[in-house]
Amino acid sequence: MNRQLAILCTVGILATATPASAHSPIMGIGGVFGGILHALLIPEHGMSVLALGLVLGQQPWIQRRIGLLIFITAMTCGLVASAFALGETLAADVLLVATGVLGLLIAAAWAPPPLGWTLAALAGLAAALDSRPEVASNEEAFRMLIGSGLGAAAAVAAVSALSFRLRGKAQLIVSRVLGSWIAAIAILVLSLRIVTQMTVG
Amino acid sequence: MKVRTAPFEQLMVMRLRWFSTLSVLLAWTLTSIPAFAHSEKGEAIDFLGGFTHPIFGLDHVVAMVAVGLWGAFLGAPAIWLLPVVFPLVMAVAGALGVLGVPLSGVETGIAISAIALGAMVALAARPPLWIAAVLVGAFAVFHGYAHGVELPVGADAIAFSMGFVVATGMLHLSGIAFGALSQWPAGRIAVQAAGGIIALIGVAFLTGVI
Repeated sequence: MNRQLAILCTVGILATATPASAHSPIMGIGGVFGGILHALLIPEHGMSVLALGLVLGQQPWIQRRIGLLIFITAMTCGLVASAFALGETLAADVLLVATGVLGLLIAAAWAPPPLGWTLAALAGLAAALDSRPEVASNEEAFRMLIGSGLGAAAAVAAVSALSFRLRGKAQLIVSRVLGSWIAAIAILVLSLRIVTQMTVG
Repeated sequence: MKVRTAPFEQLMVMRLRWFSTLSVLLAWTLTSIPAFAHSEKGEAIDFLGGFTHPIFGLDHVVAMVAVGLWGAFLGAPAIWLLPVVFPLVMAVAGALGVLGVPLSGVETGIAISAIALGAMVALAARPPLWIAAVLVGAFAVFHGYAHGVELPVGADAIAFSMGFVVATGMLHLSGIAFGALSQWPAGRIAVQAAGGIIALIGVAFLTGVI
């Protein structure tokens, strides 16, 4: 019953998560903790973390560790670039593309390590570049960026470890279905964004 | 060593757990926020708007439930392959619809999908897996395109898309859950009858009765 309640809480929190208005997942929560929440609760970021974790979880122990290391390195580079506000980028769209491809790989249950590593680098870099918070002070922005990096890295490590441990037949089916949903969401969002950009100009 | 719990204590623990579950649900209900972004048609562009979008069209609902029913009827690996193929193809077709790529005969295709998928279940058809996947994928094109054309271009695309895809998956799941009855003789008749009803609804859509 406690486990069911925990699952119910998790699903409920995810389902009732509200859209980011000022790139802060919860109004009033900033600093490192705000950054951690950003990495987990912003739908695009949470979805990419889940997808990457599931893909890395399909790989053997050493390849999984290499993938995680690549993700953290790319994310660190992106966070440093983001901290110095190196221009507006297409990071959000690139992150969606990477997430969509990761979703397809999960649905196909096919994840060759080099492809997984490339996508880990792409997702890490794009997520970091898309994490620049809209706050007044640089110090607060740095704290939130550090939190974003820590949150994303910890979440990818946790999901991949869990996915690696739960490699039964039923879990694989759930994983494939989740992958197809992630890919479908990414495709729809990308097309809606393209049309919105075309309409708005 | 097992610790025995008295029935009264067990009852109290159960009641407390139920109370905590209800409290959490009540808290969510009270803290839920209203939808603030709407499309021109008055449809909310958020998770709930996306979630209800596929559910409010009977033609879509019966076809998606039929996919789940047929998957359950065919057993593994079709039980998960068909619900994986459908959203992927649907999303690609939906993107084409959003982008305004022309496609004719969409409504006819949707009605035929209900007839064909319902008939497959009603007749307990067991084609090779790849044929079933291609058939489901082909019909997903019409459903995805129709949804894509209707999708509101607005602010919170990701929440809307999440709701939309999850609702589609849930409809498949409800079909699978009902289709699981087919392992018993009486349940098998019920599932085949449901397939027949879905096919009839498809005929009604095709002939314009509904």
